[in-house]
Amino acid sequence: MSLVVTKIQKNFKQRDVLNGVDLIVDKKEIHALVGVSGSGKSTLLRIIAGLETADTGTVTWDGEPLLGTPPHKRRITMLSQSPLLFPHLSVGENVTLATQNRSREQAEAWLDRVRLPGRYDDDIHELSGGEQQRVSFARALAAEPRLILLDEPFTNLDPDLKYELQRLIRDLVQQLELTALLVTHDREEAMLVADRVTLLEDGEVLATGTPGELYETEPAFGDFIELSGSSYPATMMEVTEEAGEPVVLVRQLNRFGNRLGEYRLATGTYVILPRDESFQVGETYYLRKKKGVV
Amino acid sequence: MSRVLIISFILFPFLGLLFGLPSPIRLDEVLMNTVFYVISLAVINVWLGLGTAWWLIFTESRWRTLVEWLVFIPLFIPVMASMFGMYIVLANVGLVGTYAGVLLVLLVSTLPYSIRLAYNAMYVIGRPLLEQTMTLPPLPRFSMVLFPLLAATMRTIVLFSTVIVLGQFVLVQLIGAGLIPTVTTQLYQSYAGNDVSLALQNTWVLILLPVLLYIGLGGLFRAAVRIMKERLR
Repeated sequence: MSLVVTKIQKNFKQRDVLNGVDLIVDKKEIHALVGVSGSGKSTLLRIIAGLETADTGTVTWDGEPLLGTPPHKRRITMLSQSPLLFPHLSVGENVTLATQNRSREQAEAWLDRVRLPGRYDDDIHELSGGEQQRVSFARALAAEPRLILLDEPFTNLDPDLKYELQRLIRDLVQQLELTALLVTHDREEAMLVADRVTLLEDGEVLATGTPGELYETEPAFGDFIELSGSSYPATMMEVTEEAGEPVVLVRQLNRFGNRLGEYRLATGTYVILPRDESFQVGETYYLRKKKGVV
Repeated sequence: MSRVLIISFILFPFLGLLFGLPSPIRLDEVLMNTVFYVISLAVINVWLGLGTAWWLIFTESRWRTLVEWLVFIPLFIPVMASMFGMYIVLANVGLVGTYAGVLLVLLVSTLPYSIRLAYNAMYVIGRPLLEQTMTLPPLPRFSMVLFPLLAATMRTIVLFSTVIVLGQFVLVQLIGAGLIPTVTTQLYQSYAGNDVSLALQNTWVLILLPVLLYIGLGGLFRAAVRIMKERLR
């Protein structure tokens, strides 16, 4: 166990934003907090970061209480929707500032890792939105945090850039064996990036599990679909065997988990998400988008 | 044309001074008192102004609105209106005729402006960006981020409080009980006594102090930011 949030309560102007939230985030895990706007997910993140106070409850890291500890002593960094880079500093200086010993070499290494080599001296205004977000991510990593909080960091990006940054963040967090807590209202994003997902509604936790567990159990499935975009159905793909041959079935499900239709995949090329690992018979995968005809 | 007119209006009061050269400025008690108040009030205004503005930006206290109103009362009630109340209080605690009393009364009349200037600057920078600084320890947070971002505001606070301090004759005279001479009080006396030479000298001090402060602070702040940025290279 690493991050343990217990019975967090937060009231804003007579309204309960968080109502006794419990959450456990394991070490080296990417955990997604999914919920609609106003469900309290960003408030919870801000409480963990130390930017907001909780009315009651506790937040601990390996048993060490975090509430009451100043933000700079928590070793927690946060990536927001906007890059929030300091405008008077260059790209590299923004990253150097976050390193423990103000090292340019380290900052350049972090910029390399987020695929911005040789951009140290550039003005931040010369970068695109996606590049600025990558600098912001480099800065968050450069502080060597034990927990990184991702507050809908992909919201303002176009789809391709969003996908690229999602992969980059997931890969780097895994490589560096960091723990991350992602706030999102996007089901695909949660499935693509997270190892486990917690559903939050009106300041209360509805369910926690892997994306697969949430897809396969009721009522969690319905909540997952509703809280993460119920306007489009979920697509699920199952690889099974029939007479020794792999058969790929595609199922479309509504928010109640009912099958809207089931298809066998025709020959063609498909893009599979959330993970691009090789197919295995008996495993269930989730489709993000497809090429070819089903 | 309109710009020429505006500049003429602004420069008009200074034209007369060009006809008389300032006599050598003496480093006497009057000047030292004035410099003491300018420096002390500049430091206190920057410190309390930024600190209070930071609190107003971040506080979740239910008393925030009330505190905001109380802090800004002197902005819309003329200082003269509250002056007699201050005089009574300061007289009761024995601060009339003392340096501390004058300092306190000048602080009351300048601090609301400093807080408002600092608050507006922080509001423009935005709470999310200010929050981003909170992951840094206090010293680098201030020296490497807040100071460069707020340098122009700090300079304005210093100048604003300086100009107000230099313009206050009645407050200094009343609370100082005539025992704390400053350039401003002496200037009024020299007007009354028709001492043109002394009036001219004090007028030039009143002009030179803010101008030198403006130029000096600008250079100092630019150098400080440059040194800070060198440390990140």
